Amino acid sequence: MKKLTVALLVVLSLIPVCLFAGGSGETTADEGGYRIALIIENTIDDKGWCQSMYEGLVGAQEKLPGAFTFEYSEKMTTVDSESIARQYIADGFDLIIAHGSQYKNMVADLAAEFPDVSFAFGTSSEIIADNVFTYMPESEETGYLSGIIAGLLTKTGNIGLVGPVDSGDAARYNRGFILGVESVNPDAKVNVAYTGSFSDYVKSAELATTQINAGADVLTGSSQQAIGALRACAEYDDVLWVGQDLAQLDTPEGQAKCVSAGGYNYTAVVVGLVEALDAGQTGGVCIPMNFNNDGFVFDYNPALSDLVTDEIRAKVDEALASFRANAGVLANWADVQI
Amino acid sequence: MDLVVNILSMTVPFSVAILLASTGEMFNQRSGVFNLGCEGIMAMGAFIGMLIPFLVGGGGPVSGVYNWLGLLAATLIGALLGLFFGLIVVTFRAPQGIAGIGLQMFGVGTAGTLFRHFVGGTQSIPGMNSTPIPLLSRIPVIGPIFFSHNLMVYIAFLFVPAAWYVLFKTSWGLKVRAVGTHPRAADSMGINVNRTRYEALALGGALAGLAGAYLSVCQVKMFSDELIAGRGFIAVALVYFGHWHPVKIMAGALLFSFAQTIQYNVQGLGIDLPYEFFVMLPYIVVIVVLAFTSKNQKTGPAALGKPFNREMRT
Repeated sequence: MKKLTVALLVVLSLIPVCLFAGGSGETTADEGGYRIALIIENTIDDKGWCQSMYEGLVGAQEKLPGAFTFEYSEKMTTVDSESIARQYIADGFDLIIAHGSQYKNMVADLAAEFPDVSFAFGTSSEIIADNVFTYMPESEETGYLSGIIAGLLTKTGNIGLVGPVDSGDAARYNRGFILGVESVNPDAKVNVAYTGSFSDYVKSAELATTQINAGADVLTGSSQQAIGALRACAEYDDVLWVGQDLAQLDTPEGQAKCVSAGGYNYTAVVVGLVEALDAGQTGGVCIPMNFNNDGFVFDYNPALSDLVTDEIRAKVDEALASFRANAGVLANWADVQI
Repeated sequence: MDLVVNILSMTVPFSVAILLASTGEMFNQRSGVFNLGCEGIMAMGAFIGMLIPFLVGGGGPVSGVYNWLGLLAATLIGALLGLFFGLIVVTFRAPQGIAGIGLQMFGVGTAGTLFRHFVGGTQSIPGMNSTPIPLLSRIPVIGPIFFSHNLMVYIAFLFVPAAWYVLFKTSWGLKVRAVGTHPRAADSMGINVNRTRYEALALGGALAGLAGAYLSVCQVKMFSDELIAGRGFIAVALVYFGHWHPVKIMAGALLFSFAQTIQYNVQGLGIDLPYEFFVMLPYIVVIVVLAFTSKNQKTGPAALGKPFNREMRT
């Protein structure tokens, strides 16, 4: 009985370890080429940050058939990430993409220890080693487009912005958003508040509800936590949402409330990484993401096309054309005080 | 005035999840068992709670009955996990802290894995709508604060006097307090200590499961792996804050939620302080109040965290 009890406890203790370790998978569409590993903190279907990189890899595989295969590891905390990265290195992977600036220290340590392996992490524009790529979404551009739409849609003149933290591409998105609102509706008030988390859906929903009750009739937000705020908007008839990820348009609440969405196109980044590897470059560069290099995509929600007036389309088209023509149009984004 | 009403009307529904979970944890601790696995039970409750309306409606509208079925199923799974925890810490007498952490990981990991299997990625459901109470909800100021919420909010606050009555006015409540204070004395009086602890753990687990389902079915109306985000641990802390008394625990839950709602509102007022200060405000408030109120207050159940073995002298 005692042995049975011990065995039962061992099995039960192993179950959560296995479950909590997160998912992993491998694409086997095309064997050969480079072997790329993706390490993410959430899941490949989080309708946000991690899903967009996963889809970027899938899209790049379609663009560059046979050029690479990839594996991914989900729910990797900063502490766990080094262990799985070492495993990928031991398995002979050529490029480790650690998708999040929280992995910077881990990447820096491993890059120094394994100079023959390439690494990539973002968002960051910092060059930390010759074998480390970084990528930086210039999200002020998508924020600006969202701001134009929100500024022209609001009836109360009160706009809510549910931010995760004030750093990285979220900070750029928020400031671009404010610039966009100011460009079309300088009298509108943008109420910026932060949850302090990239993944606390409850807090983002609570924050959005609070902003709506305070008079906001158009809201936005970035990172995966924004889904909670979008869900909160769906509870109110007269409230709209402008999104920062195209996956939001596929949700029921997105269909009902999300007028438009920008989004990351990591396919361009991954293609850039593979082409750099082809050229013998193992790192040491930052790949910016903007409309100019197809690092961003933007679309309206067909179900809410009635809300998109000619004025909105004209203003957005004008801004989009300038972003596509030149990078760095909104170089003053950092001057916006929140 | 609008700002005050807005803050208070949000405070009440936002406090419900931690109120339910803390009340459940109070029963655990009153019986002498410290359950750090509250977070894991809440995660399982949140998943099971949304799964039933999701499977029926595929994410679309469903009859309200299925929301209630989801809440009931979450309560049952919570009770089962409470009993499972009892098997580990009461029967096998494993260290409660370590076992609680294991249960937390088990619950969060299992909920996430089953969610991926049965549902997929982050998913919303229509969930439970608000049910303003006729007439009362129209009273200025009072109406929006107390009488304009979904039914689970009212039920959760009714649990507080119910918990007080059960704990202090029933023979079962007396047994729970006895086994948590002096299990050997309780045992000598013919009280089955292990059985009473199992019962308290089942009740505590049921309320934690319901708390998780409240988030996924009634408040946020969606599920993701990260949904609970530490609220189970806050619930455990609030039991200490509330000195193992249901009314004080309710006060703690409302205070925490009040501070949270204030910081949501104040962030938008343009006060020149780092937003990080506002984000940590609720936690600071709880710590400060805990520090000032703990003096001269009674300590927790004397046998809290101590396994009971009637074959051994203690």
